[in-house]
Amino acid sequence: MREARNPNPAIAASIAAVAAIAFAGTFWFDPVPPGLPGLGAADFPRLICLVLFGLAALLALTQGQAPSEDDAPRLDGGAWAVFGACALFVPALEILGIWGAIPLYLVIVGRIWGGVSVVTLGLNAAGLTLALWLVFSKIFRLTLPTGWLGAALGG
Amino acid sequence: MEAFLGGLAILIDPYVMLMVLLGTVLGIFVGALPGISGSTTIALLLPMTIAMGPIPAICFLGAIYCAANFGGSITAIMVNAPGDPSASATALEGYKMAEKGQAGLALGMSAISSAIGGIFSIVVLIFAAPLLARAAYSFGPPEYFALALFGLSMCAAIGGDSAVKNLIAAALGLLIATVGMDLTTGIERFAFGIYELSDGIGFVPVLIGLFAVGEMLDQAVRRLGKAEIIHLDAARVPGWAEFRKCNRSIWIGSGIGTFIGALPALGATTAALIGYNETRRWSKHKHEFGKGSIEGVAGPEAANNAAVGGSMVPTLALGIPGSATTAIILAALIVQGVRPGPHLFNEQPTLLYAVFASMLAANLFYLVMGLSMAKLFARISLIPPAILWPAVFVLSIIGAYGPNQSMGDVYVMLAAGVVGFLFRRTGFSPAPLIMGLVLGGMVEETLKQSLIIFGDDVTGFLGRPIALVLFVVTLAGLLWPAVARLLRVARARSASA
Amino acid sequence: MVTHAGVGGGTDITARMMMVQAPGVFRQEFTVVNRTAGSGAQALQYLASKPADGHTIILVTQTHLLTQLRNPNLPQFADLIPVARATADPQLVLVRRDSPFRTPADLVNAGKERSLRFGGTHVGGVDHVTIFAFGRAAGIQRPTLVPFRGGGEIVINLVGGNIDTAVVNPGEAEAQLRAGELRPLISLADTRLAAFRDVPTAKELGIDVTGYTLRGFCVLKGTPEDRVTRLERGLIEAMSGPIYKSYLENTGQAPDSVAGREAWGAQLAQFNRDGREALQALGLLRG
Repeated sequence: MREARNPNPAIAASIAAVAAIAFAGTFWFDPVPPGLPGLGAADFPRLICLVLFGLAALLALTQGQAPSEDDAPRLDGGAWAVFGACALFVPALEILGIWGAIPLYLVIVGRIWGGVSVVTLGLNAAGLTLALWLVFSKIFRLTLPTGWLGAALGG
Repeated sequence: MEAFLGGLAILIDPYVMLMVLLGTVLGIFVGALPGISGSTTIALLLPMTIAMGPIPAICFLGAIYCAANFGGSITAIMVNAPGDPSASATALEGYKMAEKGQAGLALGMSAISSAIGGIFSIVVLIFAAPLLARAAYSFGPPEYFALALFGLSMCAAIGGDSAVKNLIAAALGLLIATVGMDLTTGIERFAFGIYELSDGIGFVPVLIGLFAVGEMLDQAVRRLGKAEIIHLDAARVPGWAEFRKCNRSIWIGSGIGTFIGALPALGATTAALIGYNETRRWSKHKHEFGKGSIEGVAGPEAANNAAVGGSMVPTLALGIPGSATTAIILAALIVQGVRPGPHLFNEQPTLLYAVFASMLAANLFYLVMGLSMAKLFARISLIPPAILWPAVFVLSIIGAYGPNQSMGDVYVMLAAGVVGFLFRRTGFSPAPLIMGLVLGGMVEETLKQSLIIFGDDVTGFLGRPIALVLFVVTLAGLLWPAVARLLRVARARSASA
Repeated sequence: MVTHAGVGGGTDITARMMMVQAPGVFRQEFTVVNRTAGSGAQALQYLASKPADGHTIILVTQTHLLTQLRNPNLPQFADLIPVARATADPQLVLVRRDSPFRTPADLVNAGKERSLRFGGTHVGGVDHVTIFAFGRAAGIQRPTLVPFRGGGEIVINLVGGNIDTAVVNPGEAEAQLRAGELRPLISLADTRLAAFRDVPTAKELGIDVTGYTLRGFCVLKGTPEDRVTRLERGLIEAMSGPIYKSYLENTGQAPDSVAGREAWGAQLAQFNRDGREALQALGLLRG
């Protein structure tokens, strides 16, 4: 069972951390060339960071409710597996190229998700990849990443 | 009038009619696909249309432009993936409706309000373009600053479960908007020497990530085996009762959309967001917003399609495109020999009315198609989630990469996806963040431009009547709820005494 | 063919218009690769990552030169071989109809008394360099740049009276020029423009400055000489075709825009020098 604690201080702390990092980041900007009128480059971002600090403090003081199981279900192994597959999509893109990574991803994630047979997933992956390839590569002629494999095949 | 009838007569030509039809179908299709927008399509097809001759080419491109804006709402409603940035406001309520099993209603209402907004703006364009175009000259940086503040002032009210959270989301949006080269100093901010960041963070990857990938990750946690319980009315399209309910929202959206579209610096995305705010403000059913309000679909959809006609005002009457999209339309028209400007209305009426007629026809076409196919599109919710959501992710990747062909945009999209997922789990809403992102850059830029123009003297704003009026309206809008509450309390007290 | 513009920008359209006829001339397929990030930085990196065999052509604008100047670790101007020019769009100094500046002399005299507000693109951008060079050549106080997002916004604010003057391509302000809402004072072209016979060039007025919006093609240094020559000839032939010609004409750009590597290279070198000086004087050059 999830304990009914107030999640607001934790959220507020992470917001404040974002604001702090951004505020610190403004000190690494290149200096503004002399003689330019108007506000400098760092003033506006700093102002927003300060506002964020204020709002985070306000949030920390307000009583919040932990989200219900329905709003934020617990993360189980399957969920992490899907997240992992999504994170691995980009390296797969670099190696296999987009037309290799897409069918692979569709089948693997579909499998983790469950509820659909592998044959259906395979057919769907092949069909969707072909359709996307036709639309984006053939009709609209957008260059999409072909990856290491694509380059090796002379694409 | 004669010229206008001439314009309509152009449509009788079956070849031209076919081109409009083709453009409409293509427009809906590319509009619905994240990653290819109407403007990209027009740019890609532009060289091919040269051989068609001016009138069929203009009709074809005009139809794509109109229909693409509607197409964006289909994916926004069905899978929370706005096919076009301007459909993001539609996703806010539309996807909630689809979750409730009212996809058909949302899609149908989107088609109806889009068409009404689109046609309204074209009628305005026909009769008042030269007049409206003059207004563009009165809007300089100070006026845009005031307008952007007005747009932002509603942030606290829309979206998540508390005003503080909404303001935090909006401030985060403002912060994201500051990334990249600062217009007025030429300094790169938060770019850390990464070229991908020096041009700023694009709307498209953030929107796709926040909405589509965020939703996909959330669904991945739930991993429902079958499509959610299918309500019997999933495919029901709106009837007279729904239309009456949304009537007011549609007109508010149409008016706002046309006006904002006509301002050269603002486009359909801003129009839809402000349309959403105002629809909510004037709605009699405020409590439905955030939970799948049909008015919340009608208002922004009317607004973003009205902005299409509106944005043609400065494009045609002044030769000044207001956005990347109209810049391409303008290029397309110029290549076809249309010479925009105040003279266009006298010198080349046939070409001009061909533009109008094709846009009107495209709006009617997609209305018919949208209504008749709403039932079909609504069946997307019957696709098993194990097939649907991975496909949404793959489309999101292509969608982020496509427009700029940049891996940087893909990383931004994925990061936005994680933020969107965390937002969902902690009671934040993406709506204020998007408002901050879209309007934030403008707030800062126009403020700095104004200060340069006024010679660093803030009191310069006092000499700008339009800006002053907008400031007063913004302030009144912010204070009104408090004043109303005081009045109620006072009345209750006097009644009990 | 790699361009720094997003799909649909003016530069992108130039590339695509040229490409309509290029495949016929070269008997080879062309694809446009858009690498938008970093004001051309990514496009340059992409070029550098490909072999110098003439198969990868970059569409270069002045923006690339400024980006190179500000990022010494990118391929520099000296690493490129100019091949052919695609467009050279001259710029005009414009004022609004009821502006107190009736003649070029009014403008210059006023500029000596106070800093004039010029509209332009972002600080450190191409317009900024041109405006800086103009200001120095005319001997006026350093102009104040009011930066805007693009030509359209500059024109609107010029008509709306938010800026004193601006340096704009005639095509961008065509409607306003024809309606008489804007008046051209000085032309920044080399010689008087056919469409603006009465407008004196800056050189005639003793202000030694020119301003063009340039777009053209370059390849990486080390490309074999015969291939460069073949590319030059082929590209010029492709751009002499009717489709590209009518594109130039319809967008109000000079039909003599298309030029070979000599004229194109000289112009780029000139801008490279101007740009370096301007950026240095403005304090925008790193290191």
